[in-house]
Amino acid sequence: MSDQVRTVKDIPGVEWVPGTGDFIRVEPERCTGCGDCARVCFGECYEIRQGVAQVRSLDRCMECGYCWYICPSDAIEFSLPRGGTGYRTNWG
Amino acid sequence: MPEYDVIVVGAGFAGPVAAKKCAEAGLRTLLLERAAQPGHKVISSCLVPITGFLLGPSWLREENPPLERAGYGVAVHYVKGGEVFLTVKTELAMPMGYMIYCRPFCTWEAEKAVQAGAELRTSTTAVDVTKDGRRITGVVTDEGERLDSRVVIDAEGSENLLAIKAGIRRKFPPESIELCLLYDFEMPQADIEDVTGGDLEFYWAMPDEEIHAPPGEGTLGVYVFPYRQSLHLTFGQFLAMKDRKAIASDGCKLIQSYADNFFNIRRWRELIAPKAKLRARVWATAPLYANLDPEVRAMPVYGDGMLIVGDAGGFETSASGNGVDTAWITAEIAADVAIEAIKNNDVSASFLERYAQRCQAHPVMVDLCSPQRRDLTSTQHDLGQMIQGSLGYFTGDAMLRMAELVKTTNLEDVKKLLPLL
Repeated sequence: MSDQVRTVKDIPGVEWVPGTGDFIRVEPERCTGCGDCARVCFGECYEIRQGVAQVRSLDRCMECGYCWYICPSDAIEFSLPRGGTGYRTNWG
Repeated sequence: MPEYDVIVVGAGFAGPVAAKKCAEAGLRTLLLERAAQPGHKVISSCLVPITGFLLGPSWLREENPPLERAGYGVAVHYVKGGEVFLTVKTELAMPMGYMIYCRPFCTWEAEKAVQAGAELRTSTTAVDVTKDGRRITGVVTDEGERLDSRVVIDAEGSENLLAIKAGIRRKFPPESIELCLLYDFEMPQADIEDVTGGDLEFYWAMPDEEIHAPPGEGTLGVYVFPYRQSLHLTFGQFLAMKDRKAIASDGCKLIQSYADNFFNIRRWRELIAPKAKLRARVWATAPLYANLDPEVRAMPVYGDGMLIVGDAGGFETSASGNGVDTAWITAEIAADVAIEAIKNNDVSASFLERYAQRCQAHPVMVDLCSPQRRDLTSTQHDLGQMIQGSLGYFTGDAMLRMAELVKTTNLEDVKKLLPLL
């Protein structure tokens, strides 16, 4: 696992600082597997496995919170990365 | 005795305004920001409406803010068959607003707060509040440090996690949240003048063009804003409107397809693309329809020991899609009330209630945050109505409201308030 600041080719102008911790989690018992979180996420952070959503990776998360807002079952536990980590941009 | 009089959470647009005012009043003020630099995690279109500069704290206009461009001209381009078939240009006697980049602007604001005596701690995420019974007594950081204060001002943005942890608010319902995809392109200044004339551009089309959400699903079209040496574009939609159809089908891919289709319009392909270089592609959410939902309007913006400002408190001018002017205005009112509360040794909810009352009575809130202003975004169902509605909005309607808000139609009087002009 890299501890370097990362960039992503199809997301120019953004860097990701590692060390965020698992700041978004799915509560499997509340999840119905509807897939809305996966559908709304530009960062492709979710996948549906065996009828339950899972965070695939937070490497491209822009902390927009839309998955958390949109989940009809309140199954997303949303918090924020550790201070100074996660995405950053100068062009917002 | 707590270490701080006021802890302000978030150095976005609102937080530094509140922190500066509290520090100037001699309060021991701490401003917390989770990013390494203020503005690193702030994304917006970003046209700050002139109401913010005229009716917010004067230092925002007087102390040399980092502005990209004044928005004096508006061009509404109507698109059909991949072509711009009609353009209506409006020239305004005073700017509609000013375009900025969030990162340098929020950094500038935070510096002003520090110069006024506030302590700034960056790379510090406030993860919880501390309580004594119902009273909020401070925050806990991601390092587990407890920071005590007499008042917490929650300026953390629309996720408002602390207000939720404090038991004061719930998360915003999805129908009130817009998901936006934003692009930034570098472009030489001369080419920008040549192609856009410096006009703010809004592209509108009927649903079969698929460059933005259908009428009634919350859109002001595609924004192409010319900055000094760049273009800033916004594609957004309230995906949860209209029975969540947009999510069920395509979700974010739908918004991406708007962008892809837009980049195929001849004007973009032939006039702009050859001169523009992609610099950033980002996405963000905003609670722009918070005001239109009665349940959200009913959520408190204060509690014992806590005041909630800006996006965190749902303060949006829903009709025009702005949150920066309301962030500044509510932050200043919050600072005033915090100063009064601490002077009176009373940070109870019953004392702090005056914050909510003053916010609700402010002319910007009364006029632009009213649920009655839904008209622009919900009722246009044909191209004729869209054209009429947009002309009214960008020209007479907006300017008349502006005149009412600043209580004058004498442009010279307005100009005195706004040396930037």
